[in-house]
Amino acid sequence: MTPTAIAHAEQPAPPATKKLWLEIAHDWITTVDHKRIGIMYIVYALIFLVIAGCEALLMRIQLAVPNNHFLSPEVFNRMFTMHGTTMVFFVGMPILFGFGNYLVPLMIGARDMAFPRLNAFSFWISAFGGLLLYYSFIGGDGLYGMGTAPDVGWFAYAPLTAKLFSPGHNTDYWILGIFLSGIGSVGTALNLVVTTISMRCKGMTMSRLPLLAWLYLVTSGMVFIALGPLTAAQLMLLLDRFLGSHFFDVQAGGSAVLWMHFFWIFGHPEVYILVLPAFGFANEIIPVFSRKAIFGYPAMVAATVGIGFISLGVWAHHMFTVGMGPAGNTFFALSTMLVAVPTGIKIFNWLATIWGGKIHFATPMMFSAAFLFQFLIAGLTGVMLAVAPFDWQLGNSYFVVAHFHYVLVGAILVMIFAAFYYWYPKMTGRMLSETLGKWHFWLFFIGFHLTFDFMHVPGLLGMPRRIYTYEADRGWGGWNMIVSIGAIFQVAGILCFVWNMIRSYRKGEIAGPDPWDAWTLEWTTSSPPPAYNYAEEPVVHSRRPLWDIKHPNDPDSDYE
Amino acid sequence: MQETQTRSSSTERTKIVHLPEPTAWPMVLAFGITLCLAGMVTTFALTVLGLVLAVAATVGWFRCVLPHEKHEAVVAKYAVTATGLTTHPPPRQYDTLHRRVEPYQAFSFVAGIEGGLAGGAAMTVPATIFSLAAYHSLWYSVNLLAAGGFVSWTHASDAFLSRFHLEGLLAGAVIHLTISLLVGLLYAAMLPMFPRFPILTAGIMAPLLWTGLAYSVMNIVSPILNDRIDWLWFIPSQVAFGLVCGFVINLRERVRTEGFRALPFATRAGLHMSRTRTRRKGGDKK
Amino acid sequence: MSTETAIPIDAIEEWRLPDKGKLGMICLIIAESAIFSIFVVAYVFYMGKSLSGPTPAQVLRLPIFATVCLLSSSLTVHFAVTTLEKGKTGLSTLWLAATVLLGGIFLTNTGLEWHELIYHDGLTIRTNLFGTTFYSLVGLHASHVLVGLVMLCVALAFGITGKLESHHAHRLDALSYYWHFVDAVWVIVFTVVYVLGR
Repeated sequence: MTPTAIAHAEQPAPPATKKLWLEIAHDWITTVDHKRIGIMYIVYALIFLVIAGCEALLMRIQLAVPNNHFLSPEVFNRMFTMHGTTMVFFVGMPILFGFGNYLVPLMIGARDMAFPRLNAFSFWISAFGGLLLYYSFIGGDGLYGMGTAPDVGWFAYAPLTAKLFSPGHNTDYWILGIFLSGIGSVGTALNLVVTTISMRCKGMTMSRLPLLAWLYLVTSGMVFIALGPLTAAQLMLLLDRFLGSHFFDVQAGGSAVLWMHFFWIFGHPEVYILVLPAFGFANEIIPVFSRKAIFGYPAMVAATVGIGFISLGVWAHHMFTVGMGPAGNTFFALSTMLVAVPTGIKIFNWLATIWGGKIHFATPMMFSAAFLFQFLIAGLTGVMLAVAPFDWQLGNSYFVVAHFHYVLVGAILVMIFAAFYYWYPKMTGRMLSETLGKWHFWLFFIGFHLTFDFMHVPGLLGMPRRIYTYEADRGWGGWNMIVSIGAIFQVAGILCFVWNMIRSYRKGEIAGPDPWDAWTLEWTTSSPPPAYNYAEEPVVHSRRPLWDIKHPNDPDSDYE
Repeated sequence: MQETQTRSSSTERTKIVHLPEPTAWPMVLAFGITLCLAGMVTTFALTVLGLVLAVAATVGWFRCVLPHEKHEAVVAKYAVTATGLTTHPPPRQYDTLHRRVEPYQAFSFVAGIEGGLAGGAAMTVPATIFSLAAYHSLWYSVNLLAAGGFVSWTHASDAFLSRFHLEGLLAGAVIHLTISLLVGLLYAAMLPMFPRFPILTAGIMAPLLWTGLAYSVMNIVSPILNDRIDWLWFIPSQVAFGLVCGFVINLRERVRTEGFRALPFATRAGLHMSRTRTRRKGGDKK
Repeated sequence: MSTETAIPIDAIEEWRLPDKGKLGMICLIIAESAIFSIFVVAYVFYMGKSLSGPTPAQVLRLPIFATVCLLSSSLTVHFAVTTLEKGKTGLSTLWLAATVLLGGIFLTNTGLEWHELIYHDGLTIRTNLFGTTFYSLVGLHASHVLVGLVMLCVALAFGITGKLESHHAHRLDALSYYWHFVDAVWVIVFTVVYVLGR
């Protein structure tokens, strides 16, 4: 049959009547549909992104000039604690889980997640965890009376968190909020693993799984292993604070270093949990806009699993300055450098995918290109910091802050933006504006580099992190001013993005099912997909099922 | 998931799809657990309320799943396509050329090694002529090459380099042989990519190119060579290498690549060659 | 019908995927193992580092009877699953009841042990590092036993009311995985706390 046979448009049933506001709310609260839960995850994460972004902005205003008194030291402590905690637990994880929730079942040709009700539960408990954490601004009582948010830093080192040094309940809000979000994360990760393994459509063997699904599978596996230690350590801290046990009580023989180990056994894999889905986005977006199949699919999968394994054994590179002795330092320095190998494989595979391709610089591809370049630099400063003596010099300085923001913003956030531009048409049925997208890209790109390139410098000059102000004669003032000016550009970029999302939802160009001429299954169904995703369960024969449909005379399955 | 199916026409179909029933219990359970924990930092009453909610929600949730999972029926209207997937015509299709062209035939590694050896041998001729003409010595050029490997020779005099040194000959031979073999292999891989004027491109242009490359990096690789090398003589020896190496490699039979083996039998047997050339263009890029 | 023939009948006729419930339970077990291993590490790390008494050697007695009960309950729950798969619901209910009973004995025993430790030996979670790590590790395990028992009780209630059918076997099997995990954790806790730590 000729491709003209594929001419019957799928009509989503038109809504019978306009629904009442309350009915819509009821629909969303009771939903167990993976697409709606995914969107709720994303929207909730975006709200927290704005909140945590404002906190960062306040800090940047405070640090722009020396001897500033815009924020008090107490408020500054709360700001960096809440900024870090929110960005990791209530922005990064939910937004990635949101995309995973939305995309993984569609990509593997499933109707829904494996456990739809657990999925809803996981979302709601994460959301309530975030609300509980932020309630501390109103109801938390700390050292400074009512309305005190947590102020112990996002890694909450002992013994600062002991009842003696953190009286009141604000640290407990930190523990409980994250504990709840941890339950949600494990629930969603479990759901993603079971969905990916047990819900694949016919013909979707593990070696034909879209790379994004592979990346989410590995990420979810890491969530199980990484979040357990955090939950356990938080339970111990809770016991210390409520029942008076002595896990991290140095005076009763407890150990503060043990908390550091437990936290970073979670904390470092967490970085990879956040970055692997971003790699997944790159794996889907770069081939489509280079008009080539991904280069080295098996190597990509192997490298992902390799990163997953190695990242579980690198945590103590956060602790070189603690004094672990030569054996510990050597082991963790080497294992950290080892991560660069599979990561390098990935970067080369992406470059090889682009190489010789017919590149279309649509907004998603522009963000992906920026990602490749920025992630490389982030990785290079990472290898520098893995050298223990170098770390002794620069540990806990702004150089470290610049390094991990390069990963978190320059790689992860940028890829999340790319994912928004790429999949927004699928989620809403309308394209995001390319013009506004270009404005967003360039403003954010300039702002990012102003902020985080120049942030390395005060670090090298000796500026420690978490200081609320500094003396004028240190020579950090000019650099900090540039960093703060960059933040303004970033805000302008984000405003373009938010406006783009709002405007395009009503006025954007109608996307159609497959606006990018892509190859994975989610583009075979309408935009937005119907509740049941696929009326008839798809059958796939290769890694690019939609290519096979578009080119029936030259299918991929002949070559795989 | 159970599905029942009815047909209205040959391509338009409707079908009842059973999806899990929406329920608020997961949300209530999450709220209950949150209140339970919130009670720890506020008042005990919240914990009690949370506990009640959590228990009620657990029971409600269980009743959704046990003894049978509750479903709601959704009507799906769709069209069936030639391939069995419900789909739409892709509105934008960027691809014109589907797959990359790769050669069906290539040279074997052995050809590369042979070419490298022959080219290496040919290269010694202009080098030795240069050596005899400029320094009246048979050994000057080989010693100069070897000097890159010996730190102590960095500041050696011309007279020293003109004499015979066994270690110089050995080191020079090793360096020369290694580079010749590697470049020979590179040639074997590259020659099929120069479909037109191979003598001009591979024999002359390529040596000129890497002479330029060598000129720019020689200062780092071997400073002594950089000081004394005569680039006018260097170029002829490179061209001699390129021509001889390319010639020797071209003498060898070409071997068929994986791309060739993937072709259908009729093509491999020499039939239908023109058709497959246009339709299925060699091995794919994966 | 022409469209019917157009749908390619693929070579993949049999498309079998792992059971969702069991796989989900395995994932949960991996996550729980991570939590337990951190508590075990803390216990081992603080072994013998208490600044004051009582020490494990002074107050701990080997809970042999409880251990035997818990380990054999693993066997009974296994029988409950296999008999249910064969459709013998009555027998399966009986095995479930035995499992609940054995689990209950274990939990009661732990309760009695704690009562003795607190009121006779004066060891609480505040006393020293031993108390801290002992109560948290054993308590974490006991709470898992409790959750498992509640789930088993629900299954037992279904069995007694006659709603347990053989097509539920895969769900009961998933539950049995959890119970086996709880048992396996006890083996480790027993070894670390009562054998090595004493």
